[in-house]
Amino acid sequence: MSATNLPRMARILTIEDDAVTAGEILAELQLHGNQVEHVASGTEGLQKALTGNYDAITLDRMLPELDGLTLVMRLREAGVRTPVLMISALSDVDERIRGLRAGGDDYMIKPFAPDEMSARIEVLLRREPAQQAIVLRVADLELDLMSRTARRAGALIELLPLEFKLLDYLMRHCGQVLTRTMIFEAVWGYRFDPGTNVIDVHMVRLRRKVDAGQAQPLIHTVRGCGYRLGEPA
Amino acid sequence: MNSRPLVGGFSELWRSSATRLIIGYGALFAAWSILLIGAISWQTARYLENVVDRILEQRLHFLATVDRSRLPELLAATTSLDLRGAMSFGLFDAEGRYLLGDIDQVPPELPVDGEVHPLPRGVSRLSGQRGSRTRGVALRRSGDELLLVLVRDYGNVDRVGTIIRGGLLWAMSLTLIPGLLGGFLLARGPLHRVRGIEAAIEPIMRGDLRARLPISGRRDELDMLAAIVNRMLDQIERLLGEVKGVSDSIAHDLRTPLTRLRAQLYRLQREPLDGASSALLLERCLGDTDALLDRFRALLRISELEDLRRRAGFRQVDVSDILRRVHELYAPLAEDRTLEFSLQAAQVPLVNADADLLFEAVTNLVSNAIKFTPPGGRIVLRTQADSQGARIEVLDNGPGIAPEEREAVLQRFYRTQRDQHRPGFGLGLSIVAAIVKLHGFRLEIGANEPTGSCMTIYCSALPA
Repeated sequence: MSATNLPRMARILTIEDDAVTAGEILAELQLHGNQVEHVASGTEGLQKALTGNYDAITLDRMLPELDGLTLVMRLREAGVRTPVLMISALSDVDERIRGLRAGGDDYMIKPFAPDEMSARIEVLLRREPAQQAIVLRVADLELDLMSRTARRAGALIELLPLEFKLLDYLMRHCGQVLTRTMIFEAVWGYRFDPGTNVIDVHMVRLRRKVDAGQAQPLIHTVRGCGYRLGEPA
Repeated sequence: MNSRPLVGGFSELWRSSATRLIIGYGALFAAWSILLIGAISWQTARYLENVVDRILEQRLHFLATVDRSRLPELLAATTSLDLRGAMSFGLFDAEGRYLLGDIDQVPPELPVDGEVHPLPRGVSRLSGQRGSRTRGVALRRSGDELLLVLVRDYGNVDRVGTIIRGGLLWAMSLTLIPGLLGGFLLARGPLHRVRGIEAAIEPIMRGDLRARLPISGRRDELDMLAAIVNRMLDQIERLLGEVKGVSDSIAHDLRTPLTRLRAQLYRLQREPLDGASSALLLERCLGDTDALLDRFRALLRISELEDLRRRAGFRQVDVSDILRRVHELYAPLAEDRTLEFSLQAAQVPLVNADADLLFEAVTNLVSNAIKFTPPGGRIVLRTQADSQGARIEVLDNGPGIAPEEREAVLQRFYRTQRDQHRPGFGLGLSIVAAIVKLHGFRLEIGANEPTGSCMTIYCSALPA
């Protein structure tokens, strides 16, 4: 779970018919050291995806020949479990639910920020089977899920229930960049833009409790994007 | 442009509903009249035939009783009493041999019973005359066994029926023809008005939405229809006005960051900058793009909400619980701004709502209150039971919203004078309004005492 043992270069399939968007996705994912392959049509995308040679797929909802929803359903029917991030210009809530029901793992609405997209892909890539651990550990930070307590270098940290949830989420995704939207979605369970810097304030408070007086901070701000918990990169 | 006229020429008159009605009515009238004429003429003919039959029988019975010597003279008088050639007689002896009269043979089909019977095959006459329809009566005299036969031609009786039929047919035709003509003339009236409506619609189709259909003041069907269309046009005009207002404000609000973005990019292209300055400029560009994206997201969210497609998520929700979560989310932010943020969550009845959307609405209200209340201020988030359900109130002691601006702040992108210099998208209250509308709730913008604003969501279905 630590950021040090980086996995091999991830292979990502991008199925997107719009050349400019595809270029953006490719550039962003390659920037993060991934090997990206791009196809523009649904049928070709399905053929490639069915080989199972990929670690993650970004899939446009509206595609020529075969639409994204059908594609992901065929993929799941064939037993291919590659994580799929669906990207759509359709912002309807029902549309999102439909995408996730069909077998998508995450859903993003166009227009989107590329770093948000890559952050979500990272989460999908490192998605691990449900955590059975009772204690989460990152460096000298410990979170006991049973007694619901946190310790830093052995010293107890007083956490409010909300802060506990927040730290739990950050530690489960340690080393990964998490955007404010992702945090709001995972911890509070809402999917809209809370607007103000309300998430930042909660992060500041948590950071004060976790990192205060420590030589090595664990919660890092990723400029213009979000947060990352882990040892300094 | 389609140049085919909507109304014009004889074919339109033919297709008009009034014309069809008149033609249908005319056909019905003609059919009924013919039935009536048939019945009248048949009844008349039957009556006349009956009268003539009785006369014939009476004469025969009279002749059967007179003295034999007077018989020839009386028989001759009988024939001369009637129309010429209409009446014939024959006198035969007991063996049926001819004695006297125009009829030289006893008609074989005629029973000798003193009653009138039809003679479809006619009778043999000495004069050779043949009637069109004859009826006869025969009787044997009791004293001398002489056989008396009287035969009458009924052609002239039938002619009376023909005359009556003809007369009635004429009367019918004379009634029907002016009726139909008048009908056609009447049908032209509404067609004329439809043409007027067509002329009035022309400018509307060309885009002049202020034009309306003419109303004659007769309050007939066409007037009702025109009034309905006019009401529809009012609504369309209002909606288009709203759309225009919204697109104007979107254009206005997006132009500022886009212009700034363009200027910055232009500068980057033109001037060679050192690393630090260009990084700063790029940072600002990204900030502007993010702001633009945020605005689009909010706009999409509003139109999504206005689509009313989220009704599926409705269930009974506890408003106090939602308020507690909002308080938990915003309490740290309020504290950072040194604002006193208190929650007064009373026990209130459950309301039928989409919990996520209601949460979003309340966060927008609280977020606005935090944004506009100066440090040291006070914000209260509270819920109270209401006669029709529950109400949610967000009170602050910030600058408040002037009464004349209260309606306008609900419009997309509207920002009041007080917050022109602050970040924020002016979309928060529009989102709240859209959510409230979706629920059928009511949003009220009021004033707090002594200063500040009081936002209230009345969580109860609006009275229909």
